[in-house]
Amino acid sequence: MKIYESSVKNPITTVLVFIAVMIFGAYSLKYLPIDLYPEIDPPVISVFTFYQGANASDIETNVSRLLEDNLNTVNNLKEISSVSKDNLSLITLEFEWGANLDEATNDIRDALSRVERSLPDGSEKPMIFKFNTSMIPILMLSATAEESYAALDKILDEKIVNPLNRIDGVGAVSVSGGPVREIQVNVDPQKIEAYGLSVEQIGGVIAQENFNLPAGNIDLGTETYPLRIEGEFKESEKLKTLIIGNYQGKTVFLSDVATVNDTLQKMSLEERSNGRVGARIIIQKQSGANSVQIAKEVMAMLPKLQKDLPPDIQIETIFDTSEFIENSINSLTDTVLYAGIFVMLVVLFFLGRWRATFIIILTIPVSLIVAFIYLYATGNTINIISLSSLSIAIGMVVDDAIVVLENITTHIEKGSSPREAAIYGTNEVGLAVVATTLTVVAVFFPLTLVGGLSGIMFKQLGWIVTLVVVVSTIAALTLTPMLSSQMLRLNPPRKKGLSKSIFDKIEGALTWLDNGYESILTWSVRHKTVVVVSALTVFIASLFLIPLVGTEFIPASDNSRVSATIELPVGVRVEYSQQVARSIEQNLKANYPEVELASVSAGSADDRNIFSAMGSNGTHIINLMLKLTDPKERTRDMEEVGDALRKDFDAMPEVVKYTVTPGGNNGMGGGSQVEIIISGYDLEASGKVAEELAARIKNVPGTRDIDISREDFKPEYQVEFNRDKLAQFGINTTTASSFIRNRINGLVASKYREDGDEYDIVVRYDESFRSTIEDIENITIYNSQGKGVKVKELGKVVERFSPPSIERQNRQRVVKVTTALYKASLGDVVKGIEAEIAQISIPDGLSIDIGGTAQDQQESFADLGTLFLLIVILVYIVMASQFESFRSPFIIMLSLPFAFTGVFLSLYIAGQTLNLISMIGAIMLVGIVVKNGIVLVDFTNLLRDRGLSVTQAVIAAGKSRLRPVLMTTLTTILGMVPLALGTGEGSEIWQPMGIAIIGGLTFSTLLTLVVVPVVYTLFGAARMKRERKRMLQLTSDL
Amino acid sequence: MKSVFIVYNQALTERVDAILDSLSVRGFTRWQDVQGRGSVKGEPHFGSHTWPAMNSAILAVVDDRLVDKLLEKLKALNSKAEMQGLRAFVWNIEASI
Repeated sequence: MKIYESSVKNPITTVLVFIAVMIFGAYSLKYLPIDLYPEIDPPVISVFTFYQGANASDIETNVSRLLEDNLNTVNNLKEISSVSKDNLSLITLEFEWGANLDEATNDIRDALSRVERSLPDGSEKPMIFKFNTSMIPILMLSATAEESYAALDKILDEKIVNPLNRIDGVGAVSVSGGPVREIQVNVDPQKIEAYGLSVEQIGGVIAQENFNLPAGNIDLGTETYPLRIEGEFKESEKLKTLIIGNYQGKTVFLSDVATVNDTLQKMSLEERSNGRVGARIIIQKQSGANSVQIAKEVMAMLPKLQKDLPPDIQIETIFDTSEFIENSINSLTDTVLYAGIFVMLVVLFFLGRWRATFIIILTIPVSLIVAFIYLYATGNTINIISLSSLSIAIGMVVDDAIVVLENITTHIEKGSSPREAAIYGTNEVGLAVVATTLTVVAVFFPLTLVGGLSGIMFKQLGWIVTLVVVVSTIAALTLTPMLSSQMLRLNPPRKKGLSKSIFDKIEGALTWLDNGYESILTWSVRHKTVVVVSALTVFIASLFLIPLVGTEFIPASDNSRVSATIELPVGVRVEYSQQVARSIEQNLKANYPEVELASVSAGSADDRNIFSAMGSNGTHIINLMLKLTDPKERTRDMEEVGDALRKDFDAMPEVVKYTVTPGGNNGMGGGSQVEIIISGYDLEASGKVAEELAARIKNVPGTRDIDISREDFKPEYQVEFNRDKLAQFGINTTTASSFIRNRINGLVASKYREDGDEYDIVVRYDESFRSTIEDIENITIYNSQGKGVKVKELGKVVERFSPPSIERQNRQRVVKVTTALYKASLGDVVKGIEAEIAQISIPDGLSIDIGGTAQDQQESFADLGTLFLLIVILVYIVMASQFESFRSPFIIMLSLPFAFTGVFLSLYIAGQTLNLISMIGAIMLVGIVVKNGIVLVDFTNLLRDRGLSVTQAVIAAGKSRLRPVLMTTLTTILGMVPLALGTGEGSEIWQPMGIAIIGGLTFSTLLTLVVVPVVYTLFGAARMKRERKRMLQLTSDL
Repeated sequence: MKSVFIVYNQALTERVDAILDSLSVRGFTRWQDVQGRGSVKGEPHFGSHTWPAMNSAILAVVDDRLVDKLLEKLKALNSKAEMQGLRAFVWNIEASI
């Protein structure tokens, strides 16, 4: 018994099977976590190596190069690049997407263990760092304070960080920018010299005094008691009375030579939020946890925690990814709903019957819900990609049901009982339905095989559409005939009333359309040449639109965030940066009404915050993070706000360099970038070329935020010791350096403990004695005999310039010039840059490459090209095997070029570019567009076999298939409309795809309806002749 | 006793069965999925892609007095759904066991 026969005969089983599927789907939906994107782990592993005291070029020669040479042997490595900065070597290993990173990590560990012994003695063990998306903070809060500022760090740690850490799924909560308490012992160098003391001695005494020791056990009577000596300071005041030595029989107290301050560490980074000082709280989630849920729980907990805080501390949200996720998900849910409503209206319009419409619409939830089961079973999330996939599929899932139901209705009208009509009607079209589904699968299944970044995006899309469409076919072959057998009746004439007048009018219009189409077809088959030539002209003309449309990689979306980095002249004091930051803040408040929250940090980053530490660092850098109001509530979009900021920064003479990044640096939403890589060993030459290039690129239209990756050479003071003199005094370089370090940077003598927290006790020269070059020259260094000698006697202090960082890529020194793009296609900008490069004279030993998103784009587009070819071949195979003919699928495929004409035209009209998303839309069209052709050619073949002449068959088939073609096309098009309008937050990413599909499908359908029948008459004539000849042969020899 | 050979579009199966039942014709033999085409008009029933419809055939041996009633009812059914196709032919039964 066939599947549709048994389902018609066992309606209860059929209904229950689908109900079971729905229940399972609803269950999956309930437990599916919500996230913005599918989990993407970039195939990048970094290796950090700290080497205190080494400058960039030392690090490059002794650490980075050594590591690079060894790490280069790791399997599957795509690119190795490194940055050598003062004290730090950072090597980044990039692998192919989809490479096994665990294996790679092991390989890296092996390579490191081989090379570890050759690293310089002072360097620390290399650290391996693997980034994944769960490290992107999901929530960033700002805490501002007035009186409580001094204790902010501790208060936040106890009252906010600890409780938040207890929330299920929270990975890490960290505080940055809060002030840290420190016990400072500020020494007067003249006084200690007079007493014959040194900073090291004072440090030693403090360490010896601040000391607890278990002294063993003592037996008293029958009990044993432990004995302890508690020497640790109970309060920081006690330090002052510490005896540090004797001088001429008198005791010298610490307060005699130094001041003791229980105060805050000198801040090198100041966090300010809406003008108030404070700290930033960063919340990360555990891998696989539900961002939205965690953010909600955190936000719910905050008011409770706020009650325990001192009244002057205010907690505000800087950004909350869950807000964006929720908005995006909600707007996409709306998109799916609207698509469903549109599809329903189309079906009702064409069929004019409530029951039939109901049967068809029922296939939508039944097949869509399977997507949730798939997501749940594979451990995925509900995200932008999976929801968009649903809205793409929604217009396609009704197609099969429409075809089946249409045929069943025909049978009923011919006089069969609904039960028999359901079985035999489905039987007749079953094969065609399966074949059209196979063409769709032939398009979407290969999407699951795409590699690279785009592969991760399209894997879910491919699986979801494939599964949903297959299930919709199963439903069309079981549920639809079963319901038809139970619900459909031979229609009695409509009763008079509103519905009769409406549906009669619609019916009249549709009949008029049928007749109109028939006369157009009749004219066309008589004027074949005119039709073919004009169709060709239209297609070729549309190719000229391509340069006008332009290309880019991924369109940016407005997520209401703008971030900026502003650089002041290298080496300015942090106080100055803070002052500038404050003036920027005031400007924001006055001139940017759309800024909801401005979070500004000035100065170098805290070492506890790995995110700020990975970015550029220094007292001259100001980081700005803006949260804008809802896109609907403001007139300027984030790009325009970014532009206005750029103008403001241009007007500030103290700003040396800045980058404004609308959208912030998160995920894939960011704009595209072009990277020009200048490689060569000579730092000076490559720097010069980079500068010239940067200046020239400014003239290329569409470029923004031009940035040179290497910072300016940084002025620094170096103490140059004379080795002969050092030897003369019996001092080695290490001793001499550590003496200077202890006096300027300070010596952490011991830890002061209070309430379970530890604070550094730092001994160093008082600030007034370490602010000039002479102060350094006057530092006294003691040799092993205790004899003191001044620094100026051992060497001299000189000013030098050193490169702050040396970047390398594929084991060559490089400088990168990057530019963002704005309202310009990447292809054009690359061309413009290439023209500029051609005009620069490039010294020997330097080479220039263009990379960045441009490189990714080329790779992805090449992937898409292969994919497109593969899909066209697969679709051809499916159709050829269905028709058992080489010619018919070829005729059908003629509708493809016009689909692309439609794509170019609609993108041009809508002002969109040809990007990854619209290209994927174009690829999908291959499967969607041929469906119409299949229906048309299949029926024409049928009529030819039934004995009609070519012209008759073409016209009759066209007339009878017009409605099903229009109906399935309209459901697909209208299903895409909400996506193409892209009104909600986050859905803009898919707008080009919606536009491409709508344009391509509309245009190709209109032309297919005329061109395919005409071409059929050109190619299809031979078919019958051959058949007749064969028949003649069969009887000729009798 | 006469034998009645009924060939009909299988979409009419239920109704033909109902007619036989209504006349209390108990015995018959049925072939499912048989092909054929009419001598004058109507679509061929070949079960192919071009002509997807299929026939079923029933050979029922009935009492002489029932033959006319049966043919009459079958004719009524055919005229109701002429597009589907239904034919009946009658032979004499020479002998039986």
